[in-house]
Amino acid sequence: MVNFEEVSKRVLSDVTLNIPAGEAVGLIGASGAGKTTFIKLACGLLAPERGRVWTLGKDPVRYRKKYGRDISVFITGIPLLEGEDTVSQGLDMIRAVYRMDAEGYRRSYDELSQRLGFGAFAEKRVRDLSLGQRMRAELAAALIYEPRLIMLDEPDVGLDENAKSALSEMIRERVQRGVTVLVTSHDMAWISRVCGRIAVLDKGRAVSCGSVESLQSRFMPVNTMTVKISGRIPDLDDLPVRKFSLEGDVLSLEYDSNHVTAAEIAALLLKQTEIREMNIKKPGLEQLQSGGKI
Amino acid sequence: MSAYLAYGKKTFLGRSAYRFDHLMSILSTLLQFFIFYEIYRTLYGGAQQVDGITLKAVTTNFVLSLGLGSVFSPDDYFLPNRIADGSISTELLRPVSFRGRMIAENAGNALFCLIFKFIPVLTVAMLTTGMSAPAGAWELIMFVISALLGFGVLFSISFTVQMTSFWLINIWSITTIKNVFINVLSGSMIPLWFMPDKIRSAVDLTPFASIYFTPVQIYLGQLSAKDTAVKCMIQLIWTLGIYAVGNILWKKGQRRLAVQGG
Repeated sequence: MVNFEEVSKRVLSDVTLNIPAGEAVGLIGASGAGKTTFIKLACGLLAPERGRVWTLGKDPVRYRKKYGRDISVFITGIPLLEGEDTVSQGLDMIRAVYRMDAEGYRRSYDELSQRLGFGAFAEKRVRDLSLGQRMRAELAAALIYEPRLIMLDEPDVGLDENAKSALSEMIRERVQRGVTVLVTSHDMAWISRVCGRIAVLDKGRAVSCGSVESLQSRFMPVNTMTVKISGRIPDLDDLPVRKFSLEGDVLSLEYDSNHVTAAEIAALLLKQTEIREMNIKKPGLEQLQSGGKI
Repeated sequence: MSAYLAYGKKTFLGRSAYRFDHLMSILSTLLQFFIFYEIYRTLYGGAQQVDGITLKAVTTNFVLSLGLGSVFSPDDYFLPNRIADGSISTELLRPVSFRGRMIAENAGNALFCLIFKFIPVLTVAMLTTGMSAPAGAWELIMFVISALLGFGVLFSISFTVQMTSFWLINIWSITTIKNVFINVLSGSMIPLWFMPDKIRSAVDLTPFASIYFTPVQIYLGQLSAKDTAVKCMIQLIWTLGIYAVGNILWKKGQRRLAVQGG
């Protein structure tokens, strides 16, 4: 659906990445990693200095107008609605521009109004809205028609938890209908809930792309296991764990999931003692950034 | 409804929302007209004509020029404002022509001003001053066509000036210079009849005389059928020529945005 072949532009350097059709792909990376540049290249607002970008099988710079109806782009800071218009007027203009039929538009408008909660301020001018209200109105403008590809650059900024969860639900529904969605965000927990696949940009390079699990396994292989035991304290010297501690009857272990599995550890413990409870905690994607891994 | 019709309608309705502003603009046009009228009446000093130009012809020139000027007022900051706030990116991604949108919104504004500004101003001027009636039905028809072509010239100039905002942060100075040229050389402030022959010949070589003065001359029956056709053809050539230059700048500007970003 979106294909980057050794693309360089501004901070991006030799990025090769493929966004497959019908999936929700998250693009993560620290500030300045090139996420917005990636989206601008993918929709044809920027031309690559080197390499090739294909979107919907074509050069997006040349064909962006022609497949305007097939793509929806939301970039924080670039308004989709005009400040002088009320929210409903602005959305009605989008209906005219994207030639939506009246019934489809009404259905979509009602759904978005309810889920993003802009009904209360639909008749207010866009320029008079608060940041959160404006974000919801702008997101409605990006989602009101049904394109084949949706690109959302930090759509969660300024949204409360209700709006965030409504947005993730709407993204999932669109993916189920075969729409491809590309999302960037700094909220790793949110993006890992929304997207089945995550691409990581680090200092302008695409360092990885895969499922949340594969990223965890590559960048954060250390899981934490908490075991409540009854019986004798096991001898852990031969266990391939990185760290362990015992507090009362609770044993905490940190292990590298690439070298040993939870089942192997459990089997070894069971040989020596009785296990009453066991929990395994995998690190969240947010630790990618906080841990300085990207 | 097509997108362009929707844009035109939105501008038309948007203008009607600001009633006080609209009333004030009618008042300012009338004030401007009466100031010019009184200045020339004083200059004429009771004489009916000066150098063969009647006060009636001068008055008609003011009424029509100011009236058309109030109808044909392209928004010189349509593109610059969108470059400044970044929404040009949204425009470039939409499946409609940005230039088409500019034309549609200007047409919506012109229609509003024609009905609610030009007609009231014309009515007041006709009742209070001795402006001429059109020389004939043919002249009236050709006046309308020529006025539309004059709008084409004015729009093309505004369009081309706006395109410089791809390279310049502020186009205020260029817009001001453009407006001075239009005010002085289009005959709306000083009727071109009063200009010395050499200056008049030079002004005739510019697009500005085509904006208001050509339609006024046609309205007053000062041009033969052949001259009317030639002048209208010149208006068309100016419109297309200047628009073509603006279009080249538009394409280069878009390329610049894609290479350097907004």
